Amino acid sequence: MLRWVRGRGQAPEFEDVALVHLDLLYRTALRLTHNRAEAEDLVQETWLRALRHFDQFDPGSNCRAWLVTILRNAFLNKLRREGRERLESEAAGDSAGSATFEDSAVERSTPEEEFLQTVFHGDVERALKTLSEASRQVIMLADLEGFTYREIAQVLSCPIGTVMSRLSRARQLLRKELRALAREHGYSEGSR
Amino acid sequence: MTCREFEPMLHAFVDGELDVETTTAAQAHVSSCPECHGRVDGERRLRLLLGQQPQDVAPPELRARLLAVARWERRRAALRVWLGVPAFAIAAVLLAALLMTRAMPPGPSAPRFVDTLVDKHLVYAQIESPAEFTSSEPGQVAAWLRNRIGMRVPVPDYSHAGIRLVGARIAEADERKLAYLLYEKGHMLMSVFMLPDAAEAQTLPGKAVSYRGHEYLTRERKSLRTVSWRDGQAVFSLVSMLDYDALLECADRLRAERARETRL
Repeated sequence: MLRWVRGRGQAPEFEDVALVHLDLLYRTALRLTHNRAEAEDLVQETWLRALRHFDQFDPGSNCRAWLVTILRNAFLNKLRREGRERLESEAAGDSAGSATFEDSAVERSTPEEEFLQTVFHGDVERALKTLSEASRQVIMLADLEGFTYREIAQVLSCPIGTVMSRLSRARQLLRKELRALAREHGYSEGSR
Repeated sequence: MTCREFEPMLHAFVDGELDVETTTAAQAHVSSCPECHGRVDGERRLRLLLGQQPQDVAPPELRARLLAVARWERRRAALRVWLGVPAFAIAAVLLAALLMTRAMPPGPSAPRFVDTLVDKHLVYAQIESPAEFTSSEPGQVAAWLRNRIGMRVPVPDYSHAGIRLVGARIAEADERKLAYLLYEKGHMLMSVFMLPDAAEAQTLPGKAVSYRGHEYLTRERKSLRTVSWRDGQAVFSLVSMLDYDALLECADRLRAERARETRL
């Protein structure tokens, strides 16, 4: 009585490969939008875009990087549509505040980095928020989501060398912020 | 390897992104250089700290919504294949049962009315959440409709035929409120609009057929088949891509369900 045409044959269903990355997508969206409702909308838009282009996805390739790339592009498009140039302006502010190697060498004067032990979870959130969007993204992907440089390069559509330099700069900036917060909590250099 | 040489690859080393040879050379340097060892240690601690951050998880409602979106999207895509027509004409199976309330103003001519339902179905087949209330439980759906429009509406269970109840909504066609039920079979849609009590005698369009002792009118439009009938004061119209046999069977069950409801 009912006939159904399945165009995809034995290929995996979209949900089978995409759903396992939902938490990652949601977190990434949250970090971009800083708003739960907006994050959900962004994830849904990403989901729909990915679904519609699923035939272009090579099952052997990297699904999570593909999905995060779509999410990021969807977010950037939305910013452009809304005329918000947040990313660009923040990226500019970032380079102004970037630490040179010499700075970071000074910051690293306690090699054991004991101050990290006085850092609270809330501090990390606060410190991350002081970073530019670009720096935050690269740290989130590398250190919170465990992306490889190659995956990050795909998501940010930049060379791997750029990922390395951004990551190194972003971590220096983050360390600097965390150290400042640790001092606020009363940590002093050489106190232990 | 010297400290100067190691410095630029510090992060790649900590992240395990160096090739085997470079990693070996870097490891040798780090083991022999307390300062670089300290830096590596510091980077590892920072990574560890970041890795311990509480991680948000997607809300279950979002997960459910995305699964529904994927189902609908696939159905639309498959329908496109089936119909061989552009996206706008996507439609699967519609089962529209129409009942009209006495309170409603006299409607337009019947043929146009049934055509409106076909169009409604085409629209619902394309939106992401055609059901306002989602439940596969006929009792719950009936209760929701009763609360929303204050009418007792039959909600047949077709699950034995693999036709699953998706949910319901209040539809509007030509300024009449219709109760609408949606079913699906696999990737195919099956929707039910429901309104009891048609005030004026409607002339229903189509070719008369008889099924299990009852008269129905069948009509085809936009690749959809419609089966319409009057039952007491109510007018029903099923619209579907299913063949007429299946539709008439659904119609017969709906009729039986209504009779059962009336007896209660």
